[in-house]
Amino acid sequence: MTNARRAARIGRRRWASSKTFHSDAQTEMELTGGSTTQLEMDLGELPLPSYARPAPKEDNVLEQGDLFDLLAESPEPTPQTIFEGMEKPIFEVAFADGRNARFQHANTLLESLEAQDIHIEYQCREGYCGSCRVRLVEGDVHYIEEPMAWIDDDEILPCCCIPKSALKLQ
Amino acid sequence: MAYTTFNRNEFDTFEQPMFFGEPVNVARYDQQKHKIFENLIEKQLSFFWRPEEVDLTNDRKDFMDLPEHEKHIFVSNLKYQTLLDSVQGRSPNVALLPVVSLPELETWIETWSFSETIHSRSYTHIVRNIVPNPAVVFDDITKNEYIVRRAISVTKYYDDFIELSNYYQQLGEGKHTVNGETIDVNLHELKRRLYLTMVSVNVLEAIRFYVSFACSFAFAERAKMEGNAKIIKLIARDEALHLTGTQHMLQIMARGKDDAEFAQIAEECRDDVVAIFHEAAEQEKEWADYLFKDGSMIGLNKDILSQYVEYITNQRIGALGFEPIFDVRNNPLPWINAWLNSDNVQVAPQEAEISSYLVGAIDSEVDTADFGDFDL
Repeated sequence: MTNARRAARIGRRRWASSKTFHSDAQTEMELTGGSTTQLEMDLGELPLPSYARPAPKEDNVLEQGDLFDLLAESPEPTPQTIFEGMEKPIFEVAFADGRNARFQHANTLLESLEAQDIHIEYQCREGYCGSCRVRLVEGDVHYIEEPMAWIDDDEILPCCCIPKSALKLQ
Repeated sequence: MAYTTFNRNEFDTFEQPMFFGEPVNVARYDQQKHKIFENLIEKQLSFFWRPEEVDLTNDRKDFMDLPEHEKHIFVSNLKYQTLLDSVQGRSPNVALLPVVSLPELETWIETWSFSETIHSRSYTHIVRNIVPNPAVVFDDITKNEYIVRRAISVTKYYDDFIELSNYYQQLGEGKHTVNGETIDVNLHELKRRLYLTMVSVNVLEAIRFYVSFACSFAFAERAKMEGNAKIIKLIARDEALHLTGTQHMLQIMARGKDDAEFAQIAEECRDDVVAIFHEAAEQEKEWADYLFKDGSMIGLNKDILSQYVEYITNQRIGALGFEPIFDVRNNPLPWINAWLNSDNVQVAPQEAEISSYLVGAIDSEVDTADFGDFDL
């Protein structure tokens, strides 16, 4: 793991544990090739709880905060990775056995599924043990961290990826 | 083919298979056929830890308060793990290094074995802490029939391979007479033994360790032997990485990615693979029986542990592309995942409670007596 990546990870973890405000600029810079410093949220402004937030103005434009009322997952602002020139990844995830979830706020597919009560075996949560391996029937994912564990061509490791499209898993 | 420590032949490293090609000459990592091994090395190095970093003073008190049958569980598991890591701290080097042909893989094998030696040292650290005379624990390892039985099935594949491999390196292929015995050395059989050895190592890392892990974490769930659990967590993190390394080797072999003969061997050996996994699972279940012979511990008993063995056996054999061999579908000990997760492993000692971190430590105790000979 590069130092920058480690720093980003530690930053993210700190945020999650302390609930104070940090920017995740480093993660973003890394993901977008280092050219931008655009932050996900204005640092000076703390997010209002969902019940105190005005309703979305346009029906077809969804923002991070607007989604709080719509679905399960984490109701708190998590430092979701942002990709320059790419819409926020919000995708439906369906399992062959009929369970459904929606990926929207989480850092990884695994976190998202867990928050929606879909439990997947895990161990390392950073792509080297392969415990969370699932079969990808349909769709495409983006790896935030290159997986080290052995996975077959039709398998993915939810602990270190996010969806790039709607997914069907087995 | 005779082994040479510095092969002077010129060859294209990308043409070399993992094993049984040209012996490695320059340990260079600018050309890598299988980059994964370099990644594994870096990850393993980033995991570096020392047993002395973990404070075990509370464990001594905890251990003295444990009822006898729980002491038996704890000490027996330690013995078994000591054995497993003794094997793994040396055998990959002895067996694999003479036949390896890629520098990054050679270095991975060395890094892998080295980390096992740290595990071995940590068992001595734990044992020293809980019993006045560590010899009573260590001396029993080679005598205890439950441990020995499993040790044989762990080591026989290594020994079979090393024996034939030695003949191959000294005498080459063909029929040879050594001390009046006829020995048939052929590369196909040698490769078959290597493949089975890798499978048996895979089983060791993937299944055999986990019964002990489960017990250690079950103690820690009750806030007992927590220092030990911290060490086991670090060991489990390393083992998960070693397992990944072995799975990669097995899959590269089975898919004939650099040696088509191995693909054929993997196909021939499918039944043997299932048998090795099956035997290991059965032995671990017998071990669970031995552990709990005088009584169970809270949160864990023979049945649950046996189900857990079946469950992880299915998981691990599935990772190699085989069908599950047991009926268990769900993890009977889901709380173990949280313990196995390296995210909670303390890696930055300055951030929290490890008080005995040694690197760069200074003694900052200042007593008024230290100023005794000061004159103003």
